[in-house]
Amino acid sequence: MVQDLKTDVLVIGAGPAGSMTAKWAAKNGAKVLMIEKRQEIGSPVRCGEGMSKEWLTEVGIKPGKWINVEVEGARIYSPREQVFEINEKSAGNEVGYVVERDGFDKQLAIDAANEGVDVVLKTAAVEILKDHGKVVGAKVKQSGQAFDIRAPITIGADGFESQVGRWAGLPTNLALRDMDTCLQYRMTNVESDVRYCDFYLGKVAPGGYVWIFPKDEGVANVGIGVQVSQVKTTAEARKYLDAWIAKHPGYAKGKKIDMVGGGVSISPPLKQTVLDGFMLVGDAARMIDPLTGGGIANGCIAGKICGEVAANAVHGGDTSAVFLQAYERGWRGRLEEKLYRNWLAKEKLCTISDETFDKLIDALQGVKLQKLNVHNILKAVHEKYPEVTKEFEAFL
Amino acid sequence: MPSKKSLHIEASGQLCIYCGACVGICPLNCIYLDETRITFDENICTRCEICVKACPVGAIEIGAAPSLPR
Repeated sequence: MVQDLKTDVLVIGAGPAGSMTAKWAAKNGAKVLMIEKRQEIGSPVRCGEGMSKEWLTEVGIKPGKWINVEVEGARIYSPREQVFEINEKSAGNEVGYVVERDGFDKQLAIDAANEGVDVVLKTAAVEILKDHGKVVGAKVKQSGQAFDIRAPITIGADGFESQVGRWAGLPTNLALRDMDTCLQYRMTNVESDVRYCDFYLGKVAPGGYVWIFPKDEGVANVGIGVQVSQVKTTAEARKYLDAWIAKHPGYAKGKKIDMVGGGVSISPPLKQTVLDGFMLVGDAARMIDPLTGGGIANGCIAGKICGEVAANAVHGGDTSAVFLQAYERGWRGRLEEKLYRNWLAKEKLCTISDETFDKLIDALQGVKLQKLNVHNILKAVHEKYPEVTKEFEAFL
Repeated sequence: MPSKKSLHIEASGQLCIYCGACVGICPLNCIYLDETRITFDENICTRCEICVKACPVGAIEIGAAPSLPR
């Protein structure tokens, strides 16, 4: 019989959002236990491994060995493969790194451990414990043995496939149009360009895109996201990705050395992320940017806020949902407006034809954008194809 | 005809890449991922087949009996 455990803050899941939450809670004086159900933090990787970089200093992450490539820009390809290039000069700091996600996740867990966080592997939450409606910890299984971990604050950071949020009582269910099903190969002997992350739009990936993220010379992550509501048969993500690769000789000749799958939420922000004694963070809280599919930055930014609020709640002896509103206000203030705006843009982009995509990219030829956002792109398109922007008047 | 709910649902151990896409989309929260193994709570599952659509590699199948390559 394993003894039950007690801690101030229990973090479920040791991905980036979990480790950031744990680190900042510990840094602010809380006793933190972070559990991870897998045997290795960061592995298997479930990510395209591209991320922006301007937010790293905000949350206290130092660049490390986990960076594979620092790209100069992004290239967006229309269905007829006309290119719109976004680089740092034309688009501010939106572009960034291609990373080794398992190394990144491990580094964040090390940072958390260095602040005093206890990290326990092979330990899965199987139930949320409640007392008079308040979350008081979780029942966990470790190497076949079940025991309780009790904590005044429990945090769900269990990723896209989150169950603890729903067990606790927060509805995190997704509409089919608010999820992309994704598949990626790491390929070698391909003609990718280490200076760019490439994105291919249109019917090649309904409701998503094909991405090429360079890992090294001749090595790249080649992946796809397809909106689940547009899926008609089984294994559709793989069929679309294989079809795209077959049509591109620079990739068709490549060899696959790795295969990664996953779900990505492309939903509006949740209405609620706190309960008495409980907070939800990162992909589990549907914080992924619905336009780009990127979740690391938002998870880390919200994680820092979540950790700080958790420590304050423990110190003040008030772990009620009312007190935890500080987290709700904090992450929403920082992220919500953009999440909602990008969800609206995604809703629109998922419906437009290849012909319209072609016109959008064509209209952007030679245009220098001061800042890359939906509004500025549409303004530029409006000058050349006013009839195209009619569909997007709500954004202008 | 047996009712849909009496049909067996499983993820092929051969095809599944244990990515968790099905777990996240399941409207009844009745799919579990344990390291490299997907399991269904067949008492709760209504065989709505949303997970079948969400699976990027076509690993989930619903049929009269266990039939997939393991």
